[in-house]
Amino acid sequence: MELSGTNFRLYNKRLGITLIFVLLMALSACTRGTAETPGEQVETSDGATAGGVEEVTSGEVGDTKAERVGTLRVAMQPIVNIDPIAISSDSEVLVANHVYDYLIDIDSLSNPVPRLATEWKTSEDGLTYTLELAEGVTWHDGSPFSAQDVVWTFDRLRTTEGTPTFDLYSNITGVEATGGLEVTFTLANPNPFFLYDLSDNHALILKAGTTDADTTFNGTGPFKVKNYSPEDRIEMVANEDYFVLGQPRLAGVDIIFFNDDAAAVEALRGGQIDLAMRMSTALFSSLQDVPGITTSSIPTNGFDLIRLRSDRAPGNDPRVIQALKLATDREAILNVVQQGYGALGNDSPIGPLYDAYHDETAIPPARDVEAARALLAEAGYADGMKITLHTPDTGGRPDLAAVLKEQWAEVGVDVEISVEPESVYYGDDGWLEVDLGITGWGSRPYPQFYLDVMLVSGAKWNESHFSDAEFDALAATAGTTLDEEERIKAYSDIQHLLIERGPIIIPYYFAQFGAISDNFSGLSLNAFAGRTDFRPVRFVGN
Amino acid sequence: MPVQSKMSLTPDSPLSVNPSRISRWAGAFHALFSTKATALGTTIVLIFVVVAFIAPLIAPYGVNEQIYSDARQAPSADHWFGTDHLGRDVFSRVLYGASDILFLAGLGTAMAVMCGTAVGLLSGYAGGMVDEIMMRFFDSLLAMPALLLALLLLGTLGPSRNSVFIVMVIVYTPIVARVVRSVVLSVRSKGFVEAARLQGESIEWVLFREILPSVTPTLAVEAALRFSYAIFLVASLGFLGVGVQPPSPNWGLMVNEARPHVGQLPWALFFPAAAIAIVVIGVNLMADGVKRLLQA
Repeated sequence: MELSGTNFRLYNKRLGITLIFVLLMALSACTRGTAETPGEQVETSDGATAGGVEEVTSGEVGDTKAERVGTLRVAMQPIVNIDPIAISSDSEVLVANHVYDYLIDIDSLSNPVPRLATEWKTSEDGLTYTLELAEGVTWHDGSPFSAQDVVWTFDRLRTTEGTPTFDLYSNITGVEATGGLEVTFTLANPNPFFLYDLSDNHALILKAGTTDADTTFNGTGPFKVKNYSPEDRIEMVANEDYFVLGQPRLAGVDIIFFNDDAAAVEALRGGQIDLAMRMSTALFSSLQDVPGITTSSIPTNGFDLIRLRSDRAPGNDPRVIQALKLATDREAILNVVQQGYGALGNDSPIGPLYDAYHDETAIPPARDVEAARALLAEAGYADGMKITLHTPDTGGRPDLAAVLKEQWAEVGVDVEISVEPESVYYGDDGWLEVDLGITGWGSRPYPQFYLDVMLVSGAKWNESHFSDAEFDALAATAGTTLDEEERIKAYSDIQHLLIERGPIIIPYYFAQFGAISDNFSGLSLNAFAGRTDFRPVRFVGN
Repeated sequence: MPVQSKMSLTPDSPLSVNPSRISRWAGAFHALFSTKATALGTTIVLIFVVVAFIAPLIAPYGVNEQIYSDARQAPSADHWFGTDHLGRDVFSRVLYGASDILFLAGLGTAMAVMCGTAVGLLSGYAGGMVDEIMMRFFDSLLAMPALLLALLLLGTLGPSRNSVFIVMVIVYTPIVARVVRSVVLSVRSKGFVEAARLQGESIEWVLFREILPSVTPTLAVEAALRFSYAIFLVASLGFLGVGVQPPSPNWGLMVNEARPHVGQLPWALFFPAAAIAIVVIGVNLMADGVKRLLQA
C-alpha cells in the first residue's frame, strides 16, 4: 500500500503533464479567439462603405494649419496585396485608403461625399458623369496630380482582365479628361448607383504610368508609407502637403499585423495598440467597462444567410422553406448568437441600414411550430425530415447552426451539422452545391449588389439556385430605373416576395465593433472596417 | 481426487464454474484497489463509466436543451456548472459527454488493440520479409506525430464520429503492433513455443495459446495507456473542430466552443477541461494498477 519512489515520481510526472495540458488549454483560450468578426466579408470585390453613424467621441473642427501629433497604432490582419487593383481584405483596403485617395467616399448615411472629386453632375439620360477634381493635389513624390491620372487609373481598372473591376466597370464606354482637372465618364446603360461604383474599394487613384504599385506606395493620400515590414507592420507618417486643409491630424499611423483577434484585443488592453476593429461579439463584450478604452458598435448590412437550394428536393417544394421560416425564432437567435448586437433580420438583404429602401412593414411571420409541422406534413414530411446543415467554422455560424438544430427539431426537422474550415467551405465552390448552408455576407453600400450576385436567376453566387421571373423583373427595375420612387417600390415588393417565397432566412444583421484607447478622439466607425477614415482622428492623450 | 483435478485442467468447459477464474477476478479487483493511487484511479474511471451509462437518467437537463432565458449564467443551484452562451446546462453536457468520449475512445482502443495484437503476433512470429515490410510500413506511419497523422486522415475522411474511430484505429494499431511484436520476438525462441511447434500444433494455437499469454501483461498495460491517449485524442480532435461535430457534448468540442467566451463564462470552459484531466489521470493511475496486477 505504499508508493515506491520511482512510481511516485511517475505519478507526479503524469499528473504534471496532464496539468500542463489543462493549463495550456486554458492559456490558449485566454490568448486565442475566433479569428473572425461578425461583420467579416465573404468577398469584397464591391465597394463597401456604409454605416459609420455613431462617433466614438466628437472631434473638433480642424485648424487650417493643424499641429500633427500622436501616432495611432491599429491592429489589423496582415496584408498580402498592396496594389489597389488586387486588394480585398479589411487591412489591405485600410492601408490603401490612407496612402491613396478615392474620387468619392460614401458617408455614414450612405451618401456620396467629395474626396478627390469636389463636385459632379449627371446628364439627363443618366449616361454621362462629369467630375471636377480638387486643386493643389500632389503625389507623394512631389509631382502634380491631374485628370490624366484618373483616366489612366480607370482605364487600368476596367481593362485588366481577371480583376473584380473588369466586370464592375464593363458598363463604362469611355473615360476622358475634359479639362486639366475635369474627367467625364460615359456609360452604355444608365446605372443609378454609378457614384457608389466609383467608390469601389479598388478605385483608388494611381499616378498615370505607375508600373510598380505592387511594391511601392506613391499616392496622394493623407499618409506616406515610411516603413513596411511584411507580416509585421506598416508605419505611415502624415502627408504634410495633403490637399484637405487641417488633415490629417495625426503625426502617423502604425498598422500592426495580428493574425489573432483575441491577441489584438489583449494588446489593446495592455496598451501596445490603440485601436482594434475586428473582433467577435464575445471579445467585444469583454471590453465593456475597461478603463481607458472606449467601445462602440454601429449597424451594418452584413448578415448570415441560411439558404436552401430551391432547384431540387427538398427545397423545390415552397412549403418546405415556408415551414423552416416558421420554425425559426429570429429574435432568440439575435439575442443568443449575437448577444443582441446588430438588428433583427427580415429574410431579405435590404436591411434597416438602407433607410430609404428598407420596408418596415415587411416582417416575416412569427414562429409557429404547429403551422410549420402542418406544412411539412403537406409536403410529404409528416414523419420528419433529415438534412445536413453546412457551415463555415468562423464567427457565430457554428452557434447559429446549433440553435437552428434545436429550433427546427421541434417541427420534426433533424439537422446534422457539418462545420467546415472557411477555406474548405468556400473552396472549389462547394458552398454553391450543398442543399442547406450558412454563408456570411459582408456589408455593401447599396442593396442592388446582393440581388444581382446572390438572387437573380443564374447569378454568379446564387447559392440557393433561386429562379423567379417576378423577382428577376423587380430586381432589373430597381437596378436600372432613374426614378427613385419606382426603385423604392420595387425594393419593397422584393422584400415582401422574399419573405413569402425566397429560399433564404436572414435572422440578423451584424454590428461592426470598434474599441479605441481614450488617448484618441474623432474616430467614426465604418460598416466596412477597411474604409475607416483616420484623417479626422486626433491625439488627446498625454 | 483425480476427477476434480481433471476438471480444473479443462478451463473452458461451459458446464463448470471455474473457481480459479473467480479467484483471478477477485485478485484483479483486489489489485486495482491495492494502493491508494490505483484505488483512486479505478474509482474515478468507474464513476465516469457509470455516469456514461446513466447520464440520461441523472442529467437535470437535455444534452442540447437551450434555455434562452438562462443563457450565460454562473454556477448556481439550478445549474451546478452554470450555462453556456447558448443557454445549455454545462453540468448535463459534461455528464452526457462522458459516454461520448469513453465510448469512442474505448471502442477505438479496443479495435486498435485487436488489430495491433493480430498484426504484431503474425509479424513477430513470421519474421523475415513479412516482418520487414510490416514494420517499415508502420515506421512510416509512426514517423508522423499522432495528432498530425489524425488531422491528415480526417482531412481526407471528413469530420465525423466514424472518421474519428477509423483514425484512432489507424493511429494506434502500429504502436500496439510494435509492442506486441517486441514481446513475441523475445518469447518466440523459448522452449515452450519450440515444443508446441515441434508437437505439430497449428499456427493459430502457437500464436494465441502459447505466445499470446506471455504478451498479455504488456498488452494490458499498453491498452490502458492507449485508452488514456485515446481520450486525449478524441478531446483534442473535438477541440480542433475536426472530430465529432457540434452540438455533440464532446468535452474537447465544449472547450473549443467556450473558448471565445472564456472572459465572461469561464465555467463553460473549466468543467469540460477538468473532466478531461480527471479522466485521463484516473485512467493513468488505473493503468499502473493493471501493470502491478499482471506483474504479480
